Amino acid sequence: MRVNLVIGLFVCLFLTLSTRFFSLSVMQGEEFRELSYKNCIRLLPQPGARGRIFDRHGVVIADNKLSYDLLLLPQSKNETESTLSSIAGVLGTDLARLRINFRRNFISSSLPVRLVKSLTLTTAIALAQLKTDIPSIFIQPNPQRTYPFGKLACHVLGYVNEIDHWRLTQLEPYGYKTKDIVGFGGIEEKYDYYLRQEEGGFSFEVDHRGKISRTVGFRLPTNGRDIQLTIDAGIQKVAEDNLAQQKGTIIIMDAYNGEILAMANVPGFEPSIFVDRLDPMAIPDMFNDPNAPLLNRAISGMYPPGSIFKAVVGAAALERGKITKNTRFLCEGGTLVGDRKFPCSSIHHSQDIIAALTHSCNVFFYRTGLLLTGSGIYDNAVRFGLGKPTGCQLPYESSGFVPSPFWKQVNKFKKWFDGDTANFSIGQGYLLVTPLQMVRMMAVFANKGALVTPMIVKAIDAKAITPEKKNTSVALNPETIEYIRQGLRGVVSESTGTGHVLSGLALTVAGKTGTAQAPGGQSHAWFVGFFPYEESRYVICVFLENAGSGHLACVVARHVLEGVISGKFL
Amino acid sequence: MKSSFLMILVIALIIAGLGIISIYSGTYQKEGSLWQLTYQRQILWVIIGLVCFLIISFVNYRPLWDWTYVLFGVAMVCLLLVFILGIVRLGAQRWLRLLWFNFQPSELVKLSVVVFLARYFSRKSIDDIGLISSRLGMFRGVLLPLFFVGIPMSMIIEQPDLGSGLMVLFTFIAMVYLAKIKIRYCIVLLVILLVPIPFLWQMLRDYQKERLMVFLNPNIDPLGAGYTIIQSKIAIGSGGLWGKGWLGGTQSQLHFLPEAHTDFIFATFGEEWGFIGGMFLFVLYFLLVRQGIVIARRTRDQFGRLLALGISVMLGLQIFVNIAMTMGLAPVVGVPLPLMSYGGSSVVVTFISLGILSSIDRRKTMF
Repeated sequence: MRVNLVIGLFVCLFLTLSTRFFSLSVMQGEEFRELSYKNCIRLLPQPGARGRIFDRHGVVIADNKLSYDLLLLPQSKNETESTLSSIAGVLGTDLARLRINFRRNFISSSLPVRLVKSLTLTTAIALAQLKTDIPSIFIQPNPQRTYPFGKLACHVLGYVNEIDHWRLTQLEPYGYKTKDIVGFGGIEEKYDYYLRQEEGGFSFEVDHRGKISRTVGFRLPTNGRDIQLTIDAGIQKVAEDNLAQQKGTIIIMDAYNGEILAMANVPGFEPSIFVDRLDPMAIPDMFNDPNAPLLNRAISGMYPPGSIFKAVVGAAALERGKITKNTRFLCEGGTLVGDRKFPCSSIHHSQDIIAALTHSCNVFFYRTGLLLTGSGIYDNAVRFGLGKPTGCQLPYESSGFVPSPFWKQVNKFKKWFDGDTANFSIGQGYLLVTPLQMVRMMAVFANKGALVTPMIVKAIDAKAITPEKKNTSVALNPETIEYIRQGLRGVVSESTGTGHVLSGLALTVAGKTGTAQAPGGQSHAWFVGFFPYEESRYVICVFLENAGSGHLACVVARHVLEGVISGKFL
Repeated sequence: MKSSFLMILVIALIIAGLGIISIYSGTYQKEGSLWQLTYQRQILWVIIGLVCFLIISFVNYRPLWDWTYVLFGVAMVCLLLVFILGIVRLGAQRWLRLLWFNFQPSELVKLSVVVFLARYFSRKSIDDIGLISSRLGMFRGVLLPLFFVGIPMSMIIEQPDLGSGLMVLFTFIAMVYLAKIKIRYCIVLLVILLVPIPFLWQMLRDYQKERLMVFLNPNIDPLGAGYTIIQSKIAIGSGGLWGKGWLGGTQSQLHFLPEAHTDFIFATFGEEWGFIGGMFLFVLYFLLVRQGIVIARRTRDQFGRLLALGISVMLGLQIFVNIAMTMGLAPVVGVPLPLMSYGGSSVVVTFISLGILSSIDRRKTMF
């Protein structure tokens, strides 16, 4: 009968348990009793090293240094007390502070307590000599982030810190634990999964004095994977030096494959303050700084593009047949749109598209923009990749904002006026872009028609990675691109051009200046261009926040290019 | 016969009592009043369980037949609610907040699956008073019930609570077998369940895989999953023949043993009461399970018979898996030790199950 079989099965199972029980507690009982009386299983975690970050030539930008931590195995209270006092003697610190550290970092009686962090090599050696008398202390090498170049590319790298509550809730299923060190911002955050090391460690038996008598188990720690960036440390340094104290950003990008060679932001921060923690106020001060030193302005800052945007408007008008190469508008220092006067920077007289770009004539573009209409400009701005993130592999990228008549109707309950179109066509009004979006837009004219996806990570563990998005074509006529390029070249080559200061370099530069009015403050200064003109390869963007005229951006761009040329970086 | 009622009652109370003193021992050294109160809460749960046991054992169990689908439905709704508003604790979403306590629906699901299967397999045909289960074909005998059991089971595993899910599965296999489904269909069922195992392995959570791997060799991860097994074995082994005496265990007292008052309570018990105490507990558990099967054999009502068998099998499996896991014979999956482990849902549901057993025995001659 089937029930009998089940009963039989249960009898067997209970017999199995009894046998096992007998063998554990009676046969091996003595052995286990020994183990338990000595409480002798101890765990010693051994951290691996976080992956390093290189520049495109293999120069290490974020490295690991060994720091030494002092670990203490918990013993009986009296023993711990005497151990602490002898450690205090060697370190020359207060005994009370060590006691507090001990209590604060205590996890369980089987795990060593991390008593002192980041010891110098000499103290570590001095403490290691104590080990003959006090076997329960351990000096553990602990790899920590170090930044050979200090602030260099800090916004691209991000920083490392103890995991916060929000990230922990998101990342727990991937094996993250409290007190883990994870990346915040930049590559450190986006590629944390790859950079992350895995903890290994020993479990071992100790005798009554805390001396290791036998290793029970071992698991090798594994290091994180190294990441190679497209950044060129030399160019990056030139860019950062030329920004000096001026708030702003400089980007240099390869116009064909989207590789970012430099992405400098000022103000920056020392990522090492999160590792060393020498000054307790340094971190809170930085978070409260109104200049937002942690902000990666190149991708997260949103600004009006000003005249830079005229290149888009001009190309769109040519493309749609609203104007031709020969279309001329008369500039008399301003023009009436509706019954409001819209000003120009000076009186340019009769201008065609090339001259209008060269002189940055507002009137020409007011007129052109009105021919295109608001939604026409909107459509073309979107084609140039504005209004959405560029997908450049860095976290926290802003999408910017491109207004349209429809948006205004729906969100502001107001009609779109011709005045809005006029403002829109010179890159003012509601339009907001990130500097990287401008670089990408300019790259279209440099590479003659392709919208590239910027990339900043070249390889992970020496394996080249393919960008998430492929380049797309903007589908412009070759003539359109040629006319705009001539206009952009005129900006530099013509003595009346707004960027003439950039002429006379060993490289021929073309580009567009911009002086974008900013609410409540000085104007933002822009220069976005490409070089060399004949075989355009690289795009450069200089953006100075609240610096004033676009001319200043051109001066900075000149210094950067001089630095790049004299350093033979390209 | 009065004796089975008394026997179940006495055995259950002794086991629950041993559980309470072990919980006390496992928690009294921890700091914080919350831990100090753990054993008092367990006493409250045992009293509530006892009341349920007494009421149910004096009430006819036959209405369960009519209420089967309601019970099953309620259990499923609770399980669904866990996903929507469950409380996340120890990395799993298994609990529902009810008034002032946390309720673990998977415990209720275990019982309701047994009741459901008992009813399903004890239907009779209209023109013949014989059971139809022995004549059921592949579809209605195996696949259809597998479907109904599979839904709550996969939901429990998804919580994730691999242990409770597997309990439901094993009980299902045993009940199909005991319901006298043709033996070749039983074999087909086993094959159906075994074939996808390599694929299911891919779907397990990392920590579940790790636990299964560590079961094979605890020393590969001495700091993580292997730690509990090593400590638990040390605790049980160090108890020796006579044990270290109540409150004398060093493994559990000094917090070397995680979960000393829930899933690993047998290690706490074994350390303090030794081989002799542990064997005493084994005998009690064995008698309890045997009593359930004895009741099943002398019951003429098919529903009652299958119900009693299902409850006994479920209890026996949980006891075996839990103790085997503390001794390193089975992978660490979260299965409580019935009547001993701390946890209101488990204690009360176990007492209810025992009440049903007793009620079945009381009415065995009515049919």
